[in-house]
Amino acid sequence: MSAYRDVVLEHFRHPRNRGSLVMADVSMEGANPLCGDRVRVELRVVDGTITDTGFTADACVLCVAAASLVTEHVRGMRTEEARELSDAVALQLVGGTVPPARKRCATLPLDTLRRAVAGLRLPDR
Amino acid sequence: MATLVAATGSTSKKVGAKMWVGASGRILGAVTIGGCVDARVIEAADEVIKTRRRTLLDISLDDDEAWEIGLTCGGSVEVLVEPLAPGDASDPILSAYGAVCDALAQDEAAVVATVLDGGDAGNAARVVLGSGGLVAGSLGNAALDEKTAAIAPQVISSGSSRTERIETPAGARRVYLERHAPPLTLVVVGAGQIAMSISRFARELEMRTIIVDGRPRYATRERFPDADEIQVGMPSEIVAAIRPGRSTAVILVAHDYKYELPVLRAVLRSAVPYVGLLGSRKRGAAVRQMLADEGFSADELSRVRTPIGLDIGGATAAEIALSILGEIIAVRRGRAK
Repeated sequence: MSAYRDVVLEHFRHPRNRGSLVMADVSMEGANPLCGDRVRVELRVVDGTITDTGFTADACVLCVAAASLVTEHVRGMRTEEARELSDAVALQLVGGTVPPARKRCATLPLDTLRRAVAGLRLPDR
Repeated sequence: MATLVAATGSTSKKVGAKMWVGASGRILGAVTIGGCVDARVIEAADEVIKTRRRTLLDISLDDDEAWEIGLTCGGSVEVLVEPLAPGDASDPILSAYGAVCDALAQDEAAVVATVLDGGDAGNAARVVLGSGGLVAGSLGNAALDEKTAAIAPQVISSGSSRTERIETPAGARRVYLERHAPPLTLVVVGAGQIAMSISRFARELEMRTIIVDGRPRYATRERFPDADEIQVGMPSEIVAAIRPGRSTAVILVAHDYKYELPVLRAVLRSAVPYVGLLGSRKRGAAVRQMLADEGFSADELSRVRTPIGLDIGGATAAEIALSILGEIIAVRRGRAK
């Protein structure tokens, strides 16, 4: 089994940060309207740092795994840094070459997270 | 209000059929196939409206008469015709149906009982019963109320109304037990071709449908003109918010883990009597295994029906939809495994 599949299946079967956050500072929903993946990302932010993350997903295996990996990756990160994360980071996190037709599945959680950070009303610093 | 309370032989309507005849001549519903029998009921109704006294019609048809109105053989029907006073809050019949509406709004079935003969006949007294016993009213006889309450759960589970002979210390009584249940709501997850056929057929079967999908271009009114509701969003959250209960069937036809797993997590610990999953045995087993790994019990997982539908060899979307609805009816009527 490839490293890509190992990582994805592990995070799909045992997702980190799945569930809603109590007292989230921001919540953002994202969707791939044609394939039907839906993700909600929730963040707690203290003094410009992401201190806690949560996600809810009715989404494919790859998208759930990406949500798990991305929400792990940004924990403890400054919001301005999270806002600048590129899609390449999401693709790298899922552990390998993502087929072109599935790239949106892998990047949806990060895209949603970036929009969540952009929607924060709190001062960044 | 005319009610078909008992029937033998060939009849076109089931016990429980109703017809309302207004003082101004309006007619709504039917208790038989129509023709001469309904005409007799309408005549009797006109008299009941004048006298404000109820009557029990016993109408027998010999084979020739039956043939004339399109039935295959003779038989008899009993029709209870009673005066109603719309707008009169003290009318016991209206009060009873008010209690039934309250029960249905709580997703509970109810039975309305009334005495047809014996010493307590001739009055409109009603008792309303639920699965757990007395809900409202009385037949004016405590022993009769108690015995009727004991039968009510059987009437609810049987799926149909009926008349029973009940022994009491004061003698035997024939009691009509009318069953009312909330309409079945189909929650269909996955707005594809099979869902489109389900929605069309369900309308004819008097079932409500709620179409659920995360894809706005699929779950549209254009594709689902017969659906009662169309909801687009996170399917598992939509289904949980519907609070599916005993009168709900959840049909998963998305054929995609992305909706199946989250929706199953949301419904497997609910009271939903039917959960169907489109897919092969192998796929069904894989879904069950993933949920078992998450802690769902064998009992909970055994509720997932997959392959979905009755085995009628369905191949097209419409045929598969038909097999699913057939299975739901069979489950509701206690005929499915």
